[in-house]
Amino acid sequence: MHIKRAIYTTLFSFAFLFSQAAEPLVIYSHRHYQADEDIYKAFTEQTGIEVQVLKAGANELMERLKAEGETSKADLLLTSDAGRLGEAKALGLFTRIDSEILTQQVPEAYRDPDGTWYGFSMRARVLVYAPDRVDVAGLSSYEALADAAWRGRILARSSNNIYNQSLLASLIAAHGKAEALTWATAVRKNMARPPQGSDRDQIRAVAAGLGDVAIVNTYYLGLLLNSPEPKDRAAAQKVKIFFPNQSGRGTHVNISGGGVLAASKQKANAQKFLEFMVSEDIQKSFPGNTYEYPVVEGIEWSALQKSWGKFKRDPLNLAQLYEDGKEAVRLFNLAGWE
Amino acid sequence: MKMEKKPSDCLIWRVGSKLKRPFRYTITSESDGWSLSAPLLCLLIISPLLTLLSGIWDSAPAWKHLSETVLPQYFLNTVWLALAVSIVATLMALPAAWLISQFSFPGQKILAWAMVLPLAVPSYVAAFVYRQVPESAIPFLVHLRTQFGVDTYLFAEGLIRKGTLTLLMAAVLYPYLYLSLRTAFATQQKGVIEAAHLLGRSSSRVFFTVALPLARPALIAGITLIIMEVINDYGAVYFMGVPTLTVGIFRTWTGLGDLTSAVRLAGIMVLAVFFLLGIEQFQRGKARFSDQRASSAPHGQLRPLGGYNGILALITCLIPVSFGFILPCLQLLQWAKWSITQYGLGQLPWSRMGHSLLLALITAIVLTTIAVILNFAQRLHPRPWLQLPIRFAGVGYAIPGAVVAVGIMLFLGKISLIGTVYAICFGYVVRFLAVGLHPVRAGMEKVCGSLDQASRVLGHTPTQTLFKVNLPLIRGTLFAVIMLVFVDILKELPMTMILRPVDFDTLATLAFGLAVESRIAECAIPSLMIIFLAGVGLFSLNRLLSSSSRTTES
Repeated sequence: MHIKRAIYTTLFSFAFLFSQAAEPLVIYSHRHYQADEDIYKAFTEQTGIEVQVLKAGANELMERLKAEGETSKADLLLTSDAGRLGEAKALGLFTRIDSEILTQQVPEAYRDPDGTWYGFSMRARVLVYAPDRVDVAGLSSYEALADAAWRGRILARSSNNIYNQSLLASLIAAHGKAEALTWATAVRKNMARPPQGSDRDQIRAVAAGLGDVAIVNTYYLGLLLNSPEPKDRAAAQKVKIFFPNQSGRGTHVNISGGGVLAASKQKANAQKFLEFMVSEDIQKSFPGNTYEYPVVEGIEWSALQKSWGKFKRDPLNLAQLYEDGKEAVRLFNLAGWE
Repeated sequence: MKMEKKPSDCLIWRVGSKLKRPFRYTITSESDGWSLSAPLLCLLIISPLLTLLSGIWDSAPAWKHLSETVLPQYFLNTVWLALAVSIVATLMALPAAWLISQFSFPGQKILAWAMVLPLAVPSYVAAFVYRQVPESAIPFLVHLRTQFGVDTYLFAEGLIRKGTLTLLMAAVLYPYLYLSLRTAFATQQKGVIEAAHLLGRSSSRVFFTVALPLARPALIAGITLIIMEVINDYGAVYFMGVPTLTVGIFRTWTGLGDLTSAVRLAGIMVLAVFFLLGIEQFQRGKARFSDQRASSAPHGQLRPLGGYNGILALITCLIPVSFGFILPCLQLLQWAKWSITQYGLGQLPWSRMGHSLLLALITAIVLTTIAVILNFAQRLHPRPWLQLPIRFAGVGYAIPGAVVAVGIMLFLGKISLIGTVYAICFGYVVRFLAVGLHPVRAGMEKVCGSLDQASRVLGHTPTQTLFKVNLPLIRGTLFAVIMLVFVDILKELPMTMILRPVDFDTLATLAFGLAVESRIAECAIPSLMIIFLAGVGLFSLNRLLSSSSRTTES
């Protein structure tokens, strides 16, 4: 009797799990920000299209999309880095979209030249330093961090992280492989500890005096400054931000973006979602919610971003980040940057 | 050939164990439902891994580069970490298991099961709590640097970080060793130990010369589990900046986009584990450590430890359980309290808890059923052609979850089952089958003895025998396996992340998602829910184990 009941219960729970028959828009996303939930809600309210999300790492999601093939129920893939978008394109996961809205709103450097993926928010990889130990006049560029004067003072996360891979890819694009390797080797030697933790942890460590300068993304400083944790707010207030390479090619930037999947059964709705992401309301929401920059020109920045000041961006087309990304990982391996 | 009697009417059971190949008795004919279904089940379970392995000779563009650059370091890190964690975990588990199984002292009854509680704490959750240790050491490190220079500082920084990592991993993993040692000490023949006492050996000499050597298989079994957990861990080592082979696998796969090389790395890990086990078996030789009668040997009274010694024993047991359970939980409770005052109680993730429970329960039952089928088939047909696939079916336990998940996707992609509850449960079975396979086999060997043979002789079919003899006899083991799997699935993260249905969170994925965003205070609530549910499972497991040992005694 008990076994029978158990079997029925199991079967019913399976049936329950698969009973959601409506056809919502399915998004595979590597973005893990809480604010994204509000964006999905707003999209549903405006268009009546339900949204379902699967959040996981970009590579895992791509592996899953590859395995699902034509049968995939997913319509969109969102990542927080252009290199991964380039990879998804190379794997043939994306389909080309022709959207006047997207090509008009998204600057050329922040979308795929072949029109498969489009950026919707932007971040810069900057230096954060302790003003009491670092003379800002001594800061200039990423390249200058290779100087032996920085021995035991630099903090950066692991090179497993895509933001570091993309940064090194941009250095490869600027200087070639050999110089990029010399740079990575020297910076690793200058580190205050072996790479570990998140960008947030690097900022905390600068504030605590473990190192003097850290390589981090802009929005992490925004997140810490607005953290519910008083300790984090205090740490973030102790450090200052510096945009490197202003007298040269500009600071390295990257995007969050997405593309419509080739296997999608509702490409029109998926495209609608990407267009929605570059609409004025959503673009305006990024500076205040995720502390990212909008990609659309002319959208107002938050007070915090304004206080950091305008900065010159590396004009590299971000599609290049995929081309050089794998080489970057090899160079990191050779440089001993864990 | 004609000389041999037909299996169905010959009966060489007890004799069988004295022959070179024990258990060579065969009562059934060679082919029946069991001999057919067991290999098929094995094939199904091994298939995802074979799918992965079939690509191992594909071009692996990164392989040469890897072996010339980072591979030695990954390997070295893995080896020292596995060694260090094994040693610290042994220091935690061995004295406690001995004290609790032999003596009575203040708190002994509670500690006997509380010692297991760290199993309820996922290592990635422990890592979040323990990350505060190196963080709070920063002022000291800064002082070191200004006083003694960068090199001293770099050395001390590494020491603190690696020390913390070793401590936290040992603290959540020692229960594997504690469980196997306690069972071994408790079921060791009392007579041997008493004889040693009567011959005038001191307690400590009895321990080192009699009890410990006899418990060697249990020690090895426990340490093997710990080593597998260490080399599979991703979260804790990543957060503490110690790149092991598993980190290397991910880096090779995600950074270099070279899945083949990543699978080769995983293959090296599996081989390394097999190699270690092989050495041990070879070295142990023909020595036997267990006595089939041991289970029925009644225990003597626990010897009381009073006064100073009792308190010392209490402290010895309290230290590991504090590091592995009490301290992390206190910190999580504090965070949870903060989170509730901040956001209120309305946000508790009940639906995620439902998902976690559903997955854990279904998998536990399915996996245990499969473990029973395979082991019973092997008892019916003790043949290499069945033994080998069953051995291989358990190999998923030595492979990182994310790699197994890729195998599952490659395998299931063709029948579009990815993203269903079926796929995820299948993945869990492939990954965790060993958790059920070995205890069920041990249980059947120990308890059923030749009783099932007797049942067959009395005319029952294999199926009737299974339900009327074997299953009732090992129901304790079955429940224990269900609970162990239940706890493992509750904590499991990488496979759940990749294989779960869309819009389907579990407590583990929720906790991890929040932690990635550094919303650590909020991550405390789902973490505590995992720990609570797993703790309930472990508690009932222990109730059952102790009540069954009491019935044995009476």
